[in-house]
Amino acid sequence: MTFLEKQTDPTSPMHWRGNMQADYLYLSGVAGDKFFKHLMKNDTFLATKCPECNKVFFPPRLYCEDCFCEIPEEKWFEVPSKGSIKLFTIATIDSYGKKLKEPKVIGLINIDQTDGSLLGVIKTDKPDEELQGVHVEAVLKPKDKREGTLKDILYFKKK
Amino acid sequence: MRKVAVIGAGMTLFRRILQETGKELSFLATKMAMEDAGIEKKDLDMVIMGSAPDAFDGIHLKGENLLDGAAAANKPYVRVFNGGGTGVFAPIAGWWHVASGVADVALVVCEEKMGSCFPHPQTAFRHIWDPFLDRPLNTNLVWLFAMEMNRYMTVHNIKKEDIARVAVKNKRNAVGHPCAQLPDENITIDDVLNSEVVAWPVQRLDISPPSDGASALILCSEEKAKKYVEDPITIAGVGWNIDSTMWTNRDLYFPRYVANAAKMAYKMAGIDNPRKEIDFAEPYDPFDYKELQHMEGLLLCDKGEAPILTREGVTQRDGNLPICPSGGLLGVGNPIAATMGQKVCELYWQLAGKAGKRQIPTDPQIGVGQAWGDIMQMGTVIVMKR
Repeated sequence: MTFLEKQTDPTSPMHWRGNMQADYLYLSGVAGDKFFKHLMKNDTFLATKCPECNKVFFPPRLYCEDCFCEIPEEKWFEVPSKGSIKLFTIATIDSYGKKLKEPKVIGLINIDQTDGSLLGVIKTDKPDEELQGVHVEAVLKPKDKREGTLKDILYFKKK
Repeated sequence: MRKVAVIGAGMTLFRRILQETGKELSFLATKMAMEDAGIEKKDLDMVIMGSAPDAFDGIHLKGENLLDGAAAANKPYVRVFNGGGTGVFAPIAGWWHVASGVADVALVVCEEKMGSCFPHPQTAFRHIWDPFLDRPLNTNLVWLFAMEMNRYMTVHNIKKEDIARVAVKNKRNAVGHPCAQLPDENITIDDVLNSEVVAWPVQRLDISPPSDGASALILCSEEKAKKYVEDPITIAGVGWNIDSTMWTNRDLYFPRYVANAAKMAYKMAGIDNPRKEIDFAEPYDPFDYKELQHMEGLLLCDKGEAPILTREGVTQRDGNLPICPSGGLLGVGNPIAATMGQKVCELYWQLAGKAGKRQIPTDPQIGVGQAWGDIMQMGTVIVMKR
């Protein structure tokens, strides 16, 4: 075995530089397409309800993962773009180890009238407060700026 | 070990790009298989997912991403993966779940979304090579397979037109397949020979297309299977084998790893003379020459004899030894792992008399399916009986 812990330059042994090229076109899927198209034109969200167990899927799904049945067209419905904070954290360091300029509150918002939640940025004046259970509403981009992605939701704020 | 039966199968459309997400595709295939078997999610003891590199769908740990579409939420679940060999290896993993007695009913789902890797999934294949010895030359799989094909043609003095016949046969067979991506009832040998040269001797129509798709299979212990079907189709033998990664030091004219896997499966199935005992086969055909090499690897004929049998019509659907009656990868499409649909589900459909327009007319009793993967080194084989 050759141990390299005393090497100050990891490029001093023979090596070859490469990268793993990976470019993607992710399609939102059949349910996702409907969800994001609705979001481009409306200030509400869409959800689906399982016809067998009545579980409400948000974001909407084409099928119930428990009953394993298809969710028909008539089980799609609108819900307000509001919800309660289920989980949250206050991030101070990013994925590259750098200190954020300002602490960022990231949380899971349980959307009203549904059994599902969405990851979102939470804007608040006092990031150290107890946020669990607090009711928030989505702040969306102006309609003419929306692109049909999750980024159309700018953040969630207290009502 | 317990005997294992196949009681249901399902398969989505295969297309270059499908709008459905991977989990939506998995759901569609799984639902079809469940309806075919007459079972529900609660009847499943365990779920096995087969899916090739994460780099295709572009989701690391894609097994976890796919599982809710595969009826696996809150079940024992595992993803298996060995490149192109996965489509037959996943049902082999399903087989050992049931044969060992840990599961009575196991669902096997195979999914691939190559369309996400954009503009072409060939970029993902560029990173499967040794980073020091292969990658600096910017090689790709087609160039390597072209060298292998050339070697096979040289050793046996095979004419290109005798290889092109395979592409013609499979694309014509695919006309009867409801999921097929490239069926063509009018294709001729000249069409193949006149198509664009990608890397000599490989031309455009020698190659199967990249695809999106999913397939599913439901396995059950033989005794319990009688609850669902009168005469269950059983898995008689399985085999798998991998050759050295130093592919540069092997003679690529013959896939000895496929022969090793086939011998393992035949021994388990009690088959002494595969040429006489096997009624039809689904060898892996991502390229037309691979069907021929794999027929030889599966010991269904002598080395170099497969192109002759093909020329004589023996491998046609109504011939003595139908090969790829599904239409294969060349005709139906090649969503890597999801080709379980042609290589294993097709055995079930043929043996159960459910193959519709593709039904082999001679009442087949025993069939063999095979897949091939990694760097020209993985062979996976399954034998099924009525």
